[in-house]
Amino acid sequence: MIFQTIITGLSIGSIYALMAVGYSLVFSVLNFSNFAHGAVITLGAYVAWAVMVNIFQLPFLPALLISMLGAGIIAFLVERIAYSSLRHRRAPSLYFMISAMGMAIALQNVLYATIGANLYALPPVFAQDSIQLGTAVISKMDLFAFGFSILAIALLTFILNFTRVGTAIRAASHDAEMVSVLGVNLDMLVAVLFLLAGALGGMAGVFMGVKYMVYPSMGWITNKAYIGAVIGGLGSLPGAIVGGILLGLVEALISVSTIGGVPLSTYRDVFSFGLLALLLIVRPTGLFGRHVEEKL
Amino acid sequence: MLLSVENLNVFYGEAVHALRDVSFQVDQGEIVSVIGANGAGKSTLMWTLIGLLRPKSGKITFGGKTMNAVPHQAVQGGMALVPERRRLFPNLTVRENLSLGAYLRHDRAKIAEDEAYVFSLFPILKERLGQYAGTLSGGQQQMVAIARGLMSRPKLLLLDEPSLGLAPVLVNQMFDSIQQIARQGTTILLVEQNALQSLKIANRAYVLEVGHIVREGTGQELLRDPSVQAAYLGVRQNKEEVLQNASAPPAA
Repeated sequence: MIFQTIITGLSIGSIYALMAVGYSLVFSVLNFSNFAHGAVITLGAYVAWAVMVNIFQLPFLPALLISMLGAGIIAFLVERIAYSSLRHRRAPSLYFMISAMGMAIALQNVLYATIGANLYALPPVFAQDSIQLGTAVISKMDLFAFGFSILAIALLTFILNFTRVGTAIRAASHDAEMVSVLGVNLDMLVAVLFLLAGALGGMAGVFMGVKYMVYPSMGWITNKAYIGAVIGGLGSLPGAIVGGILLGLVEALISVSTIGGVPLSTYRDVFSFGLLALLLIVRPTGLFGRHVEEKL
Repeated sequence: MLLSVENLNVFYGEAVHALRDVSFQVDQGEIVSVIGANGAGKSTLMWTLIGLLRPKSGKITFGGKTMNAVPHQAVQGGMALVPERRRLFPNLTVRENLSLGAYLRHDRAKIAEDEAYVFSLFPILKERLGQYAGTLSGGQQQMVAIARGLMSRPKLLLLDEPSLGLAPVLVNQMFDSIQQIARQGTTILLVEQNALQSLKIANRAYVLEVGHIVREGTGQELLRDPSVQAAYLGVRQNKEEVLQNASAPPAA
């Protein structure tokens, strides 16, 4: 039972981590919380629905890749439309955040106005989803989502640490202006940043769609991922991963716990937000918050 | 002529007129110093040259091309800025800091050559390659900053206060290194508060005061100029002499 719960927790936690990484990537360089990320994730799920159900009947893997690409491009377009002019004018972070919220509302309402408020299911990845392991029943999809999320995050980590663009992104997270003084085209760098964040978000959106449903307000779930990113320390990649997975585990454990016969599952969100509040009191910078000091 | 600046005017917002009709030039192979007090506009000049600040008016010509306030273009054209206070990436290793200096280049063989060259200038860096730049001492950080600038193989190296915050013995070493870089054929525009040292190594120099160029000449001329001595070199003179010199026209 506990084993089963942990697998479920890791699965949802790794999906949170996928989304949280997107928040952290953007925050680390542009210093604002990209609240349009949830809408990008939602649109990624709709791309999957379009190519798997509505227009084509593609199998899961190609559909996943197309959705990741689609969400990446959408994230890039969001940046061009909503943030790039603010960036060039060196506007304060607050302006970016307001622009992001506007973009989130606009995109969600475009979905309501065009495709409608219906809930759509994505076809299951496995015909027979559960495997029996002793007394535990484990979902193959959970294992699959966990494995793929970890793989995607590992790939991102590799890109950030071992490629030129990745090195420039890490440098820009400390001093974007200096990166541009070295001749790096910042517009290009930010485009890569949003493509990466969007692609991982698209993957998360598809997994959410398969596990649950596809609907216009499904992006709300990113609030949880955002909490994960804050718990880990906004702007820190390892922080986003650990924070997301931790939150998923805590939620899964809370959902199956009882106190004096009263199930706690209805209080799940109270615990998530409580965990955040508690952590912010103890460690305001999050678990992996940045403490880089510069010698003068 | 490598760099020519004509009637440059730079503002911060509407009110602050940071550079006023600044004109000067830098020839191939020279060390040119710009000296001036805090707030005279020295760093503003550097940021404008590299393309990060857009001048309100004036013209910057570099290597025969007009520059359009795009850092990408300036670096591609052969300028590199080593900014005041170094601005290293402390969260990156020394190796990564250097590699970003060569970001626009794809000639691996020549990049390796230039890496060997900066190690010959600053041998200690070779031992520190894997270390995070933020953990180095101030002097070593300044070496990384200059090395990072050189990694783009610039025609013109812009050095903004390279001696700032260094111990006196390191200051001397820094000026030696600058001369060594110049001997290797890199033209240098040096902006400094340390007027004595920077005039000593300069072929030509300019004095910047509240956004104006008020004096120009060879390094030696300015070292002997009484008003420069009084304002920047700490040499005492009697009052009449200063007044007399202040009213004298600037050397052509």
